[in-house]
Amino acid sequence: MKRRTKKLLLNWRIILLTLFLVGSIATLALKPLTFGIDISGGVALVAQTEHPVDTKTMQLVVDSLQKRLNTLGLRDITVEAQGDQIVLIKVANVTSPEEAERIKNVIESQGVFYMEFSGVIFGTGNDVEYVGIYQIKPDNSWSVPFRISKSAAEKFAELAYGKKGWPVDMFLDPPVNSLMVVPESVYKAMNSSEFNAEAPEAPTLMERIAKAFNISVVAYANQSADEIAKLAQGKEKIVLVDVPQELQTQLEEMNLTVRYVPRAQGESDHALIVRVLGLYGPYSLGEGLTVGEPQQDVQITGSAPDRLTAEQEASTIYTVLKSGSLPVKLTVVGMEFISPRLGEGFRTQAVYAGIGALITVLLIVYFHYRNWKIAIPVASTSLFEAIIILGFAALIRWNLDLPSIAGIIAAIGTGVDQQIVITDELLGGEKTTKISRRSSVLKRMGRAFFVIFASAATTIAAMSFLLVYFVGTLKGFAFTTILGVLIGILITRPAYAEIAKYLLGED
Amino acid sequence: MSKSKPKARPAAGDAVRAKKQEKLSFLARMEYKKMIMYPLAVFVIALILLAVNFPTLGIDLRGGVVVTAYGVNANPDELGRYISDKIGMEVRVEKFTGVEASGVRVYAPIGTDPLKIIEVMKEKYPNAEYTHSEVQPTFGEIAQQQGIRALVFAFLAMAVVVFLFFRNLVPSLTIIFSALSDMTIAVALMGIFGIELTTATIAALLMLIGYTVDSNILLTTKLLRRKEDSVEKAYLSAVSTGFTMSTTTLGALLILWIISTSQTIDNIAIVLIFGLLADFMNTWILNAGVLEWYLARGGKA
Repeated sequence: MKRRTKKLLLNWRIILLTLFLVGSIATLALKPLTFGIDISGGVALVAQTEHPVDTKTMQLVVDSLQKRLNTLGLRDITVEAQGDQIVLIKVANVTSPEEAERIKNVIESQGVFYMEFSGVIFGTGNDVEYVGIYQIKPDNSWSVPFRISKSAAEKFAELAYGKKGWPVDMFLDPPVNSLMVVPESVYKAMNSSEFNAEAPEAPTLMERIAKAFNISVVAYANQSADEIAKLAQGKEKIVLVDVPQELQTQLEEMNLTVRYVPRAQGESDHALIVRVLGLYGPYSLGEGLTVGEPQQDVQITGSAPDRLTAEQEASTIYTVLKSGSLPVKLTVVGMEFISPRLGEGFRTQAVYAGIGALITVLLIVYFHYRNWKIAIPVASTSLFEAIIILGFAALIRWNLDLPSIAGIIAAIGTGVDQQIVITDELLGGEKTTKISRRSSVLKRMGRAFFVIFASAATTIAAMSFLLVYFVGTLKGFAFTTILGVLIGILITRPAYAEIAKYLLGED
Repeated sequence: MSKSKPKARPAAGDAVRAKKQEKLSFLARMEYKKMIMYPLAVFVIALILLAVNFPTLGIDLRGGVVVTAYGVNANPDELGRYISDKIGMEVRVEKFTGVEASGVRVYAPIGTDPLKIIEVMKEKYPNAEYTHSEVQPTFGEIAQQQGIRALVFAFLAMAVVVFLFFRNLVPSLTIIFSALSDMTIAVALMGIFGIELTTATIAALLMLIGYTVDSNILLTTKLLRRKEDSVEKAYLSAVSTGFTMSTTTLGALLILWIISTSQTIDNIAIVLIFGLLADFMNTWILNAGVLEWYLARGGKA
């Protein structure tokens, strides 16, 4: 018996299990587990880009979001791109629903910023490298200094050469690639030199936005929805400005994307245009910038009737410049807020549920075999498996969220199943003689492991698609399931087979 | 392989196993035509049920707003009317209970401000713990597409692996069909019991692919590879192992379902329970029936 025990303990499978177990416990002691938002509390937001983007643009989105949230003084932020359209933002330590809502608003208010001159976009938010503190002079004129990238400065110098007084426009989220249907008076204003700063000879606002953003404008003269739809062919959307609202429903019925902008009470044509286009400016071009020399440090200036208005105008521009650095518009399409107190509840529950499930497994296995020599190793192997999975998760700082925990449960569930397959194969060889027993054990173990490998392979195959392909919260689930299955077939199951052979007198 | 020899093995366990196999032997005596017919009938019924009563989509797939309040004990209908009146939006309130905490979930259409609901509820239940989430329909659509994609790909991957392992058309197809039937029946039961289709339940359905294939692989391996025993003996030995496997898993899932108040975990547990119950039938009756028929015809189809 002693020799057998020694042989068991020196078996490489048992040694491997012990090593992993000790390693995991040590890891867990040194590096505590990190939990997902749904357990530790916090807010998780899913943002979607306006259209699919390439990896480079996606990286810019991630970087700028990270920067922006950091400047808000939030800690524990993760921003992660998934696929070509989804960004997952997680902020831990958010304690109230109100705070969660504020974070959402911050992300949504990030716009796409364009600097345009004479119908050419010479820079976007990414070209804004630095924004200085705005200044307000005693005569209520204001200025916001900022630095643009070298390439934008060069492009601008070339464009603006000799065009003193021409208008420079800045846009935050203009309705790119659209058809605008506007009242006659608005059409006239856009087609006049009203937005031309000090250069009536420059292209009109209508010409500039047509060239820069592919926005065409038509005056509303009782056209039918069909006529408008025809005009909008090839455009992404239709913007209806202060026209009868029935048109919206009619056009939407034709499966067109429509944005309806009503005129606010007492709103002037000018204010309406500025609002619909997301226009800041136009700012007139000072002489210094028209000599063809690229200048990176520029400023926007303006003047207001009183100090308060000046302050407001300057701070708006300041914020737009500072935050408008996303290469593409983002909308928050999903959010989830979990209060930290509640998360703690989930965590204790997960622990209770885990222990409860383990005891249940122990009892049911005992009930089936009426043998503690089987029940205890089965249940403890499952426990070891859980510990190793958790140790691994701690090691790579995997965020354990609820789906990850579900994955661990799944892995353990299949683990118990497979241990039962091994046990039954070991117990099943009644008709063997002593001589053929050894080879028979090998054969039966071979069969058991065939079943185990086949089912592990199916699970891994099924889950790996989820891991690489799927966007959203199921990644954790796939990850822990695969991890658990791998640990199972490589470490715990072979060790269990040895222990079972030893305990059932079959080695 | 002539005489049985007493071994250093607990006799009690053997007796229990023998008794269990005896109890289950009625399955082995079933006619294989019936073994194939009945589960197929159930599968068809499940399909019909799905056609008339497909599970509703959860807000993460459909879009919507949900506010969860823990530590609130209220009549859901009354509370629903109260909130609807106050915020001017139709809401639906659902009650849930767990071991430690119970509470309500308030479902509201997209566009509702969750903070408003919380504000209204805080007047009545200032000490409750509130969480909220909202999903836009556009994201729901993405999630739906991806859920379907994940299910299809996972299923195909499973099918390929099963083929590679068995390299035998009839047994492989049976395993694959039985996994399909498990999932179909699980979804049909979700419809009946009002469990929503969410990303969590999709995860559970994916998990079912792994879980249910286990027992089918076990059965097929035993019947096709265990040449030293009769088909009936091999079957009974597989059934007895399979029942032990499934009851332990079911037991663990039941505990999970009882203890947890997290909707994610609860739903995953219940869907797995549905699937495993369906799998009892599909593995030990349908799959076994097909295999018996297949073996009776000399292993060729």
